[in-house]
Amino acid sequence: MSDVPDSSDADSGSGTDAALRVMVVDDHPMWRDAVERDLAAAGCEVVAVAADGTQAIARFKAARPRVVVLDLQIPEPNGVEVTREVLAHDPSARVLILSASGEQADVLAAVKAGATGYLVKSASAADLLAAVRRVADGDTVFTPGLAGLVLGEFRRMADGPAEPENPAPELTDREVEILRLVATGLSYKQIAEALVLSHRTVQNHVQNTLRKLQMHNRVELTRWAIERGLDG
Amino acid sequence: MFRALAVLRALVLANTLVVFGFRYDGIERPALGLTVMGLLVVWSLVVVLVLRRARRRTLPVLVLDLAVAAGALLASPLVEGPDFTTSLPSFWVMAPLLVWAVRLGWPGGLLAAVVLTACDLAVRPEITQTNLGNVFLVLIGGPIVGYLCGSLQEMAAQRDAAQRAAALAQERARLARAVHDGVLQVLAMVQRKGPVLGPEGAELGRLAGEQETSLRTLINRQDALVRPEAASTVDLAEALAARVARRPPAGSLVGTGAPVLVPAAVATELVDAVGACLDNVARHVGEDAPAFVLLEDTAGSVVLTVRDTGPGIAPGRLEDAEAQGRLGVTGSIRGRLADLGGTASLTTGTGGTSWELTWPRTGAGTAG
Repeated sequence: MSDVPDSSDADSGSGTDAALRVMVVDDHPMWRDAVERDLAAAGCEVVAVAADGTQAIARFKAARPRVVVLDLQIPEPNGVEVTREVLAHDPSARVLILSASGEQADVLAAVKAGATGYLVKSASAADLLAAVRRVADGDTVFTPGLAGLVLGEFRRMADGPAEPENPAPELTDREVEILRLVATGLSYKQIAEALVLSHRTVQNHVQNTLRKLQMHNRVELTRWAIERGLDG
Repeated sequence: MFRALAVLRALVLANTLVVFGFRYDGIERPALGLTVMGLLVVWSLVVVLVLRRARRRTLPVLVLDLAVAAGALLASPLVEGPDFTTSLPSFWVMAPLLVWAVRLGWPGGLLAAVVLTACDLAVRPEITQTNLGNVFLVLIGGPIVGYLCGSLQEMAAQRDAAQRAAALAQERARLARAVHDGVLQVLAMVQRKGPVLGPEGAELGRLAGEQETSLRTLINRQDALVRPEAASTVDLAEALAARVARRPPAGSLVGTGAPVLVPAAVATELVDAVGACLDNVARHVGEDAPAFVLLEDTAGSVVLTVRDTGPGIAPGRLEDAEAQGRLGVTGSIRGRLADLGGTASLTTGTGGTSWELTWPRTGAGTAG
């Protein structure tokens, strides 16, 4: 799948990267170096790198980066757990998933754990920089592939067994409409034009879909923990 | 199995000893009787110990076991007098019989049963109906137990083989995953760095992109293989991926992360309809024009959206074509969907052209 990031919106909020603190987590030195070089060349400050999950969690706490560029397939604990850990430690940090194999279940799990961006590794250096900046600004970076996965996940939750304590979240018609357009490759700007909305409104709708997914997941996790007596 | 047989042997031995005790006063040669009983006790102990190890369950041991039972049977008239009613080892003969059946299957069970009944009948002064009944039971029981054991062992062997195969497949998948991940990393890197190196690098990057797409399709298909499917249904996502991959790198398929199972005939028609949409994009927008295919599986229907980023179709052009008898687009796309009981709608504008193909699942089992 040639998921293309939304580069047309790249420059919307890039004024604040004077000292954007970034951490790069990847077990392939080749990639770690390439990403680090690109980020440094663009003026970001790479405050830490890590090759596995344990290192990533430890160095995150020491270096306090604003954005974590994270490969999902790293030695244990994997990218999904790292996402959960670092965001539990610092909810204001942002996680951008940079994945080569695009294993769908893992991507979805990472997004549920709180990652707000997803990019495939074949994306260009410019796309990566744009994505890092947008994620740092609090935007969500969706690929068409991720939009499709999220749409599917909401349908699966709606079709699943009803749980009175944690009802399946639902998307509004507008949110479904926008996600479907993202999934067929339209940029936020193009969507805004097509639906006669402001760019910001489109972004808010997309962000809301992820927030609903993450909220539902958090309630699930808490319930799971209480049921097993892990909350004390 | 042999542990159960050891317990059984102990029980039948106890039974035999008790029965012998009750009849002790009425027998002709008590000394010889006691010797036989002692022999049975010793042999039972020895044989149980010997049979504990699988590699010691050899034919000589089995033959000896059967010979002890036969000998005890043949000794019955010597010990108890010619007109005895209960044989000396009584139920103890069950133990060797079952050992034969368990170890050698139904032929072993049958052979042991024949030998034992032959010895039993040979020494009896007169054959009563009860004797015949016992003989019948032994002759039936030996082979049946043997047959059941044979089947059980076969099933256990098959189960072991299946478990081994599953473990192997899992391990292979795990190794493949690591290799695939590495290859995808390199292909992605080539795509990323290629364009910087000039036209040849760009070409390399394009080739790497194609290979990345097909490898990813392969991985997703392998994942789909483990899911159980009815024979007549296929995963539409997989079928579409194969079709969309024929137009790399411009075509991309977005699924919802789960297989979409539809009847095979419906899948063929839907894939062809999507193919017609993609061909249309190639013809009217350009060979390299990007096209997106979104596959959605809602509760009631399967929805396919095919969108390009071209200039759109001028208003009225399709109607004109239809009026002139050129059914190209309408025929191949709308017609296919109508045959399946679905609909195809077209929206076009400056942002590109978008086909939405809807196939309702309800009552569509016989469609196509």
